[in-house]
Amino acid sequence: MKRFEENSTNRLFEKSLIDREQMDQISEYRALNVFSVHTELKLFLYLSVLLFTSGIGILIYENIDSIGHIAILSLLLIVTIICYYFSFKNAVGFKKQQTSFENPLFDYLILAAILLSCIFIGYLQFQYTAFGTHYGLATLIPTVIALFCAYYFDNKSILSIAITGLAAYIGLSVSPQALLDNNFQQSDSLSYSAIALGIVLIVWSIYSTKIELKKHFNLVFLTFALHLINISCINNLFEPYWGVFIILLAVSSYYFYTVSYSIKSVSLFVFTILYAYFGLNFLLFKIIDLIDIQDLMILFSFLVPFYFIASIILFIRLIKKFNKNKTDDCTR
Amino acid sequence: MIAHDKTELENITLLEEAKSLNEAGFINKKQFEVISKQLIVPKSHNNLLIRAAFFLLGVFLYSSICGFFSLISVDLIDDNFKVLIFLYALVGFIGAEFLTKQKFYGHGLDDAFILGAQLTLAIAIGVYTDGNGLLIAVTIMVTSLLSYLRYVHLSMALLFCLAATASLVYTMFELGDIGKNILPFVLMLFSVAVYFYSKTVLKNLKTAFYHKGILLANSFSLILFYLSGNYLVVRELSVALLGAQINPNSDISFAYFFYAFTFIVPVGFLVYSLLKKDRIMLWIGALAMAFSIYSVRYYYAVLPIETFLTIAGLLLFAFTFFAIKKLKHNKTGITFRPDRFTNANAFMNAEALIASQLGLKPETIQESDMEFGGGGFSGGGSGGEF
Repeated sequence: MKRFEENSTNRLFEKSLIDREQMDQISEYRALNVFSVHTELKLFLYLSVLLFTSGIGILIYENIDSIGHIAILSLLLIVTIICYYFSFKNAVGFKKQQTSFENPLFDYLILAAILLSCIFIGYLQFQYTAFGTHYGLATLIPTVIALFCAYYFDNKSILSIAITGLAAYIGLSVSPQALLDNNFQQSDSLSYSAIALGIVLIVWSIYSTKIELKKHFNLVFLTFALHLINISCINNLFEPYWGVFIILLAVSSYYFYTVSYSIKSVSLFVFTILYAYFGLNFLLFKIIDLIDIQDLMILFSFLVPFYFIASIILFIRLIKKFNKNKTDDCTR
Repeated sequence: MIAHDKTELENITLLEEAKSLNEAGFINKKQFEVISKQLIVPKSHNNLLIRAAFFLLGVFLYSSICGFFSLISVDLIDDNFKVLIFLYALVGFIGAEFLTKQKFYGHGLDDAFILGAQLTLAIAIGVYTDGNGLLIAVTIMVTSLLSYLRYVHLSMALLFCLAATASLVYTMFELGDIGKNILPFVLMLFSVAVYFYSKTVLKNLKTAFYHKGILLANSFSLILFYLSGNYLVVRELSVALLGAQINPNSDISFAYFFYAFTFIVPVGFLVYSLLKKDRIMLWIGALAMAFSIYSVRYYYAVLPIETFLTIAGLLLFAFTFFAIKKLKHNKTGITFRPDRFTNANAFMNAEALIASQLGLKPETIQESDMEFGGGGFSGGGSGGEF
């Protein structure tokens, strides 16, 4: 593996695309023979947190009547507090810019703390109905904690938990699995609130750009907003009043198209295009359906390959234009 | 044999190298831009998302062309509709050749045609021979090898590995019960042969074009070797293929061998990969270890799942904690310091996505037992890797 990379470096040098000094630096570093298990160990930490919290979650759920509640609660509380204690002790404190722990271990410790607090509050509500019939509170409190921690510790995973919490508060399940299962609640009022939440997220991202508050979080906010708004719109296309939503879809597509240019995010760009393409095809289908001439159907089926070729050319153009705007092709 | 321009293919590897040098901070962004302007490369997409989107479009285009042909020829051949499937495969190959001439390489569109051609060819042969597995596998083995040599697509190398294995398996089936009985051992021998052969080829390889494909065959042989001796796989397959009845007190033949194999091989992979600093083998070893634990738990669930998960989480955490502590300050060799050459950006984004899967679920307002707000429980799903 290494041999070919060194070869490529040599070739770059031969073509005088890199100079002698850089070449020496590179071979010096390669000679160190570094084998970093940084990513692997971080993945293990993440996995251990997921395993532990799911284990605890199931454990409590299964034994909800059998073990002493107080014992469980106090044990859970102690573990949670320990996690919080160490995280706060080692935190760099709140800053407006991107920050990180000196040791990435604590990123995962605080994630564990958040997940455990969710379980703790859920348990309180279930067993003692601590929040009475204000079911919303039981979702809102973990959400607020998660939001605070996401900003304080600068953690994107926790931020996305907080956003799912916000969505849950208005009654939506926005986990990727739910979206894949097409489990996205279909009722009208819910899709309106989903669109509203999406708009709130957009407004917040604009505001935080203005006051320069954790600008790298914007991608997370905008990703959630994009999918919330566009999926709700597409769901509503199959209702009688689809006209309003196709306009809304067009507006949001235009907005996210410009935003993806300004924050240079490929994933936003591609998904925006895909949603817009779906909307466009839907509109075309509606128009053909409206014309409704049997004889034309055969003509249409002959035109389909050319339609696809035209759209492929269009996509290639769009992506070329986008790639000119940014120089590196990183995944984000 | 290679359909692409060789200098342009080489430029791709050079550009990749320049990119990783840029990310490692050896050259600055400006220099990288200069380099990327000077190197002419085929039309391709490094970004998997864009490539997948174009793949989807390519599939649409391919199927609409096939539909177009079916429409015009539907009156000509009403009985011989089977011929049409061969025509579809032909369309795929012509499309692949055309796109390659247009300098598409790893773009998404060409992937759709190259993969689609193989798939329709397999279906066509299946339809003609009433699903003769051996014939399908052998044909695909040949066509995918030729396509790999011609188009240098990694997916073709993978397809070749799979088809070659499938051909071997079907040949063993032809031998009857004896073949089925010795299947695990034959597969082990096969993968050992592939492993050492690909390793020597890698050592003597002059040009970089086929490097990745052979590396893939090498990794594939590791996975195949492990799976062919894994207790769970062997036991379930012997039930499925031989119709073996396994009573509660009995076990499959050579059971102890397979038990030992299930654990010794992953440990061997892990130790060897750390000694040889082989990252791919390290990953395969870790995944194999996880699958081994799952295999044993599948038959002997000593601990209930929740206790198992909790303890496994704690143990894994403790192990990682001490590993980090020990490796934190190493400057050479195995270390916890991030390598300047590996880029963990994609992993961090995936993490946020998985975390949102764990997130909170809306409360059901109905009067039921399930009015539970805490989201931690939904995490059970992600424990499925074990």
